[in-house]
Amino acid sequence: MRRETALELAGPAALVVAAALLGALVSRSTEGYFTDALVKVAIVVALYVFIGNSGVLSFGHISFVAIGAWTAGVLSVPASEKPAIMPNLAGFLRDRAVGNLSSLALAALAGGVCALVVALPLMRLSGLAAGIATFAVLEITHNLLRYYEKVGPGLNTFSSVPETTGLRQAALGALGVVVAAFAYSRSRFGRLLRATREDPAAARAVGVSVYRQRLIAFALSGALAGLAGGLYVHLLPISTEGVYLDLTFITLAMLVIGGTTSLWGAVVGALAVSALDSTLAEAENGLTVFGATLDLPAGTRVVVVGALMALVLILRPSGLTGGREFRLPRVSADAA
Amino acid sequence: MTLAVLNIEWQTLADATALGAVYALMAVGIGLVFGVLRLVNFAYGQLVMAGAYALALASQWEWPVWAGIVLCFAVVLALSLLMDRLVFRPLRGQSPAVMLVATFAVAFLLQSIALLAFGPLGKIATSLASLNRPVTVGGVDIRKITIVAIVVAALCLLALVLLLERTTVGLHMRAASMDFATARLLGVRANRVIGAAVLVSGALAAVVAIMLTVQNPLVTPDFALRDTIVVLAGVVVGGLNRPIPATLGGFAIGFASGILGGALPTEKSQYLPSFLFAAVILVLLVRPGGLFTRYRGAVERV
Amino acid sequence: MTEGALVVENLDVRYGGVHAVRGVSFSVERGEIVGLIGANGAGKSSTLHAVMGLVSSAAGEVRAAGASLRRRRPEDVARAGIALVPEGRRVFAELTVDENLRLGLAARRSRGGSPGLLEHVYELFPIVREFRRRPAGALSGGQQQQLAIARALVAEPDVLLLDEPSLGLAPRVVDLVFDALAAIREQGLAVLLVEQRAQRTVALADRSHVLANGELRLTLGPEDAADTETMVAAYFS
Repeated sequence: MRRETALELAGPAALVVAAALLGALVSRSTEGYFTDALVKVAIVVALYVFIGNSGVLSFGHISFVAIGAWTAGVLSVPASEKPAIMPNLAGFLRDRAVGNLSSLALAALAGGVCALVVALPLMRLSGLAAGIATFAVLEITHNLLRYYEKVGPGLNTFSSVPETTGLRQAALGALGVVVAAFAYSRSRFGRLLRATREDPAAARAVGVSVYRQRLIAFALSGALAGLAGGLYVHLLPISTEGVYLDLTFITLAMLVIGGTTSLWGAVVGALAVSALDSTLAEAENGLTVFGATLDLPAGTRVVVVGALMALVLILRPSGLTGGREFRLPRVSADAA
Repeated sequence: MTLAVLNIEWQTLADATALGAVYALMAVGIGLVFGVLRLVNFAYGQLVMAGAYALALASQWEWPVWAGIVLCFAVVLALSLLMDRLVFRPLRGQSPAVMLVATFAVAFLLQSIALLAFGPLGKIATSLASLNRPVTVGGVDIRKITIVAIVVAALCLLALVLLLERTTVGLHMRAASMDFATARLLGVRANRVIGAAVLVSGALAAVVAIMLTVQNPLVTPDFALRDTIVVLAGVVVGGLNRPIPATLGGFAIGFASGILGGALPTEKSQYLPSFLFAAVILVLLVRPGGLFTRYRGAVERV
Repeated sequence: MTEGALVVENLDVRYGGVHAVRGVSFSVERGEIVGLIGANGAGKSSTLHAVMGLVSSAAGEVRAAGASLRRRRPEDVARAGIALVPEGRRVFAELTVDENLRLGLAARRSRGGSPGLLEHVYELFPIVREFRRRPAGALSGGQQQQLAIARALVAEPDVLLLDEPSLGLAPRVVDLVFDALAAIREQGLAVLLVEQRAQRTVALADRSHVLANGELRLTLGPEDAADTETMVAAYFS
C-alpha cells in the first residue's frame, strides 16, 4: 500500500483510538459521552459509504440503524423477560435469545438485507427524488416498528437489552466500520461509484452501471448502519423516537459538517459535533469552566448544531475537512 | 347518519374535506417556492409553527382576535423573508439535495429555538376556540371550523389563481418556474419574483396556522411537523413543479388520511403513514413528474 | 464622437481552463446589422452570453450607449435596453403566445408604453396575432422563432441580439426572419446577429466579423457575400 493510501486509513483509525483512550481516562460519567460519540462515528461512517461515495442524498439510513437495533435488541433480551416487555412478539422470536456478538452480526445482516431490498427499486432515482424517496423509507420503517408489536416493543422503550456496548465495544465497532468503509472505497467498486459521482454520463459512457454500483454501496452501508444500530441498542434503552428524525438530523449534520465526500470528514464530523454536543449538554446541566459557571437552557444544543450545519452548508459546502482524505502536513524537501 | 355504501359518516367526510383543504394550502405554499427556487422547503411546517405560537401568545396576552391574526401574519411573513434572505439566497444554484439538507437543518433549528423559548409543554391558543362549536346542517352536526376551513381555503386558492393568471407578477412567477434563465433574460427580476413567491407562501402558512390552531389549540415545538411531512408526500405525488397538481396532491392526501383515519379501525389506520409513503415511492418510480401533471417529468431532471 | 449603441472592447471569456473569447472588440450602431459568424465553438455564443451577463467576462468592457454592462445581472442588462433572442428560441411552451409577449414587456423601460407597439409587432409577424390565444408550444419551429423575436421587440430595446435564429428552420422561414431583421434595422435598432449561415448573414449585415478560436479574424462587407473564395478563406484560414 502506498504511503498516502495507508494514511487515509491510519488518520481516521487513529482518531477513533484516540477518542477511545481519552474516554478511558476520564470519569465514569463522562465516559458515556465518548461511548456515544463512537457509536455515532459508526453511524456516520455508514452514511458516508453511500452518500459520500455516490453523491446521492439519503434520509433513510436511520431506518437501517433502527432495523439493526430492533434485530439485536429483540434477539438479545433474555427469553424469560420477553413476555413482560414484548407480549405480542412472534413465536420464533419469543423463545430464543442470542449472545452479544451474534446479535451484532445479525443486526448487520438484517440492515444489509433490508437496504438491498429497498435499493432494488430506489437506486434508479437520484437528486431530489432520491432524497424524498429515502425519507419515505424512514417514515415507513418508523411507522411499522412503532405499531407492529410482533417484532419488538412497539411504542415502549427497549428495556432489558444487555448493556454490552461499553467504551471498548463501541471503539471496536467504530473501528470495524471505518476499516470496512476504507476497504470499500479503495476497492474497484468504490472507485467506480466515485466515478459516477463525478460525472455520471461519462461513467455510463465507459460502461459503468450507475445502478449496480449504487446498489452495492447502499446494501453495504445498510449493513454497517445495521451493525451501528446493534451497538446503539446495547448502549442504552431506546424507543422508535430515538432512531427517527432527531438521529437522522444529527448524523446528517455530522457528515455535512465534517465533509461528505471523505472518510476522514465523516469521522472528524462525528467526533467534533459529538464533542460540541456533549459539552453543551453538560452546560445545560450547569458546567464550571475555570471557575465560571456556564448554565445554558435546555435545547441550546440543537440550536447550536442546527445553526452550525446551516452555516457550513452556506459558507463551506464541502465541510470542515473540505471533503478530502487525511494527509500529513507536507514537509517541503528543501527545508531539510 | 352515514353514507351507506362506504359506511362513512357525513361528519367524517366533512372533516376530511376540511383537512384536505388545509393541506392543499400548505401544498401550494411549498409548491410555489419550489417552482421558483427548485427548493423543497422542509422548514415550511416551522413557519406554521411560528404563526401558531404568535396566536397562542396573543391569546395569552388577551389581545383581541384580529390583533392575534395580524401578529400571526406579521411573524410568519417576517420569518419567511428572513429565511429567504439568510438561507435560500446564499444557497441559490446549489444542488436540490444540498438545499433539502439545508432546509432540514433550518427546520430543526427553528423547532429547537421554539423549544428553548417556550419549553416542551406547549401553549394554548384559545381566541378562536368558539369555531369548534358545531352547527347543524341538514341534520348533521358539523364543527364551524370545518366550514370555515373549506371556505377560506377555497377563497385563498381563488385569489392565488387570480394572482397567477391575471397579474404581471403572477405571469412572471409562472414563467420563472418554467424556465428561470430565460425569464431573467427577458428582464424578469429574480429577487422580486422569488420574494413574491416566498411572501405568498408565507401568507398561506399564516392562514394554515390559524386553521390548525383552531383544530388543535395546544401549540408545541413540533406543531405542524407531521402535517408538513404528509403534505410533502402529497405534493410529490401530485407533482412538485406545477401549482395545481401540487394543490390536488395536498388535498388528496389530506382527504384520504381524513377518510381512512376516520373510517378504518385503529389497528389498521395506524399503518396509514406506511401506505401513504409507499405510494410516494411508487409515484416517484413510475411518474417522477407527479400524478396530476400532463407533461411527464421534463422539467426536473432527477 | 458619439458612442455606438453597443460597444465591446477587448472582451475575454474563460470557462475554467478554456479560453473561449480572446480580446474581441467591435461595435454596433443604431440602424445597423452586424454579423458574427464562425464555426461551432468559435466563441460566438460566448460573446453574446458575456454581453448579457450570463457568464462573467474575465477582462474587457461592454457598454451600451456609453454605460458599462460589466458585472450586471441578466435582468438588468435586459432592462438597460439589450434584448436577446436566445438560441433554440426558448419560448414558454405552456404559456399562450400573448402571455409570452407580455413577458417581453418585463424589460420595458417606459411605463404605459406606446399604443401602437403590439400592432407594430403583429404587422411584422402576422402569425403572432393569428395564434395569440394558443399555447406557444403548439406553434411550429418557425412560428416560435417569430414569436421569440416579437417578444424581444415589445421591450422596445435599443439593441437586439440574436443567437442563431435560422437554426433548424425551413428556407422559406429563414427568408421571412431575415426580411424581418432588415425591417427592424430600418426602424433604427442596432442588431447583432450571430449565425452559422455565413453567406446570408454577410449579404444582409452592414459588417460581418469572422470569429475563429475565440479571436476576431476578419471583417467582411456585403460585397464579399458573392465571393465564395473569400468566404471559404475566412472560414478555413
